Amino acid sequence: MAEITVHSPSHAQQRVRTLKLRRTWTGLAGHLVIWALALFFITPVVWMFFTALKADQDVFRFPPTLWPYDNLQVMVNGQALPVYDVTIDDGQTQRLALLDVAEGHGDFVDPVRPTAEPVNLRMKFAEPVLTIDFQWHNFLNAMNRGVRPGLNVNFWTYSINSLILAVSVIVGTLLSCTPVAYGFSRIRWPGRDLVFILVLSTMMLPFQVTMIPIFLFFTETLKWGDTLLPIIVPSFFANAFDIFLLRQFFRTIPEELLDAARVDGASEFFIFLKIVLPLSKPILATITIFTFLWAWNLFLEPLLYLNNPEHFTLALGLQDYQSQHKVIWNQMMAASVVFTLPVIVAFFFAQRTFIEGIKLTGTKG
Amino acid sequence: MNAQSSAAPLRPVAAKRRGWSARTRRNFVTGLLFISPWLIGFFLFILYPMLASLYTSFTEFHLKAPSEWVGLANYAEMFADKRFWVALYNTSFMVVIAVPLILFCSFICAVLLNLKLWGQSIYRVIFFLPSIVPIVASTMLWIWIFNTNNGLLNTFLGYFGLPGPNWLTDPTWSKPSLIILALWGMGSTIVIYLSGLQDVPLSLLEAAELDGASWWQRLWHVTIPMISPITLFNLVLGVIAMFQYFVQPFIFAEAQTSSGGSDRILGSPLDSTLFYSIYLYDKAFVRLKFGYASAMAWVLFVIILICTLLIMRWSEQWTHYEDAR
Repeated sequence: MAEITVHSPSHAQQRVRTLKLRRTWTGLAGHLVIWALALFFITPVVWMFFTALKADQDVFRFPPTLWPYDNLQVMVNGQALPVYDVTIDDGQTQRLALLDVAEGHGDFVDPVRPTAEPVNLRMKFAEPVLTIDFQWHNFLNAMNRGVRPGLNVNFWTYSINSLILAVSVIVGTLLSCTPVAYGFSRIRWPGRDLVFILVLSTMMLPFQVTMIPIFLFFTETLKWGDTLLPIIVPSFFANAFDIFLLRQFFRTIPEELLDAARVDGASEFFIFLKIVLPLSKPILATITIFTFLWAWNLFLEPLLYLNNPEHFTLALGLQDYQSQHKVIWNQMMAASVVFTLPVIVAFFFAQRTFIEGIKLTGTKG
Repeated sequence: MNAQSSAAPLRPVAAKRRGWSARTRRNFVTGLLFISPWLIGFFLFILYPMLASLYTSFTEFHLKAPSEWVGLANYAEMFADKRFWVALYNTSFMVVIAVPLILFCSFICAVLLNLKLWGQSIYRVIFFLPSIVPIVASTMLWIWIFNTNNGLLNTFLGYFGLPGPNWLTDPTWSKPSLIILALWGMGSTIVIYLSGLQDVPLSLLEAAELDGASWWQRLWHVTIPMISPITLFNLVLGVIAMFQYFVQPFIFAEAQTSSGGSDRILGSPLDSTLFYSIYLYDKAFVRLKFGYASAMAWVLFVIILICTLLIMRWSEQWTHYEDAR
């Protein structure tokens, strides 16, 4: 008995110590694993940004470097010249500026003594001196680049088209889905829940099934080919997904609130407009952001309908870089950054709305 | 006027059969008015196109002349078409391998992000960020990363002395490349799992811990059953989406063909990325065989329906609903 009373405090202390130690180790291991995974997720994004900032010849440097490098340049006689470390015959290296190259030989001049006669040396013995240099103008070049000869089209055109598309689709979705969701949640009418099951079941339908007749209807019957209309107009006719989200939200508004208004003689439309909508700002924000993402990402529909580059969206226009014989990776990445930036900015401003929206779709489904 | 009608006593059920009350009738009209945008859209963009494509699937489409009825010829042609089976195989490969893999990895990531560690909110942003990069941009980015000579991935493998494969041009590696791309962008699945993990009642986990259950046992016997409805949801959505997989392989194929000829060869290299929707697009909008493509679309629809039903049936064995005690 005495033994136990003497032993147990130290034993307990030891247990606590080992437990603490184990917790530290598992914590460390957890951090290590998460770090490794985080690198997998973040590196490509960082790579995109840094590639966008590289000089043309730097993109194909082997092995590739993360930081954008460019040749160090020096002003000699009013001329910007690249600097090389040149190994001279006696094994010494000298820092010289390159004037001209011909047949594997370069004319080098000493920047300290610019008036001296240039030395002709083999390029084999010259190493370019590199310096970290961000090519910020890549972004402007990428945006201003005329992608098709003979057409006044560049990435500004595509950006404007993408914006027009996104804004119109957002307006259409909000205008059409809100009353429909109200009709499915706050008005009691015979057959309502049956029809709502039909709404939900349309989510199962693959686009491929309706794609061809819709395509023919818009291009042959309405002659809307090569415009954004076939993509914008359907958004004004509500979609199952957003109806579902809005309905879930509308159902949480207390019935007494609406009944009080009904007693006062308010029409359903008035209640919808003046009571329900003002209370639904969070869900409207969620839908706005997700519709924006959806429209910004849209690829198949623009691919089907748009022929003239003047009407291309960014998603479609980005392909211009691929169809070239030689892909200009830094400019393509710069254009990709421009394409991605609005989404990332939106995410950092409305992080909570993003996450809530995804949770809504995931857990309430 | 609203007050009057709501004050009026509800008629007995027998009277309902003969006709609705004034209030019900008015609610019916108001309800239909409110849902009319969807109703019109349903007829215009769902019901009519569905019937039209079903009809088209039995015809041979001509651009300048009226289409001719060919019966089941398109379906017969499809079953004899080698490339159709290749496309179906490639898509099934992705559904069977990629979808479960993505679910598994998302779950692991969510569990890690749910550990009580310092800096989790930053990690969560990092894991989620790739999923909001527009698909076209992320696919182009990965084509650059997969570049055999100057790509980031092969450079990285080179540090370990591993020979980097031709990710995009080797038929054995083209599908794994697409899977890596999909794993990179699985952020929203992680978020869904994470929110599910946070909803697992702490009392259950603590009770298990008191009973001496280890971390693994708690994960296996408490957490995984508790979030099984979310797994089912992610699985069904993942399968439906994978059957319609289009944008990434389309742009991948573009990368194959850009350097050489001007013609885009869909499904390259060697049809290894010829997925169902890619082949359907090729038939419909490159070869203008609308009849054949419509038949393909309907077969796809039926396959998706059957798969969804099978998954739902199968899920009864492993999903756990708290309410259904």
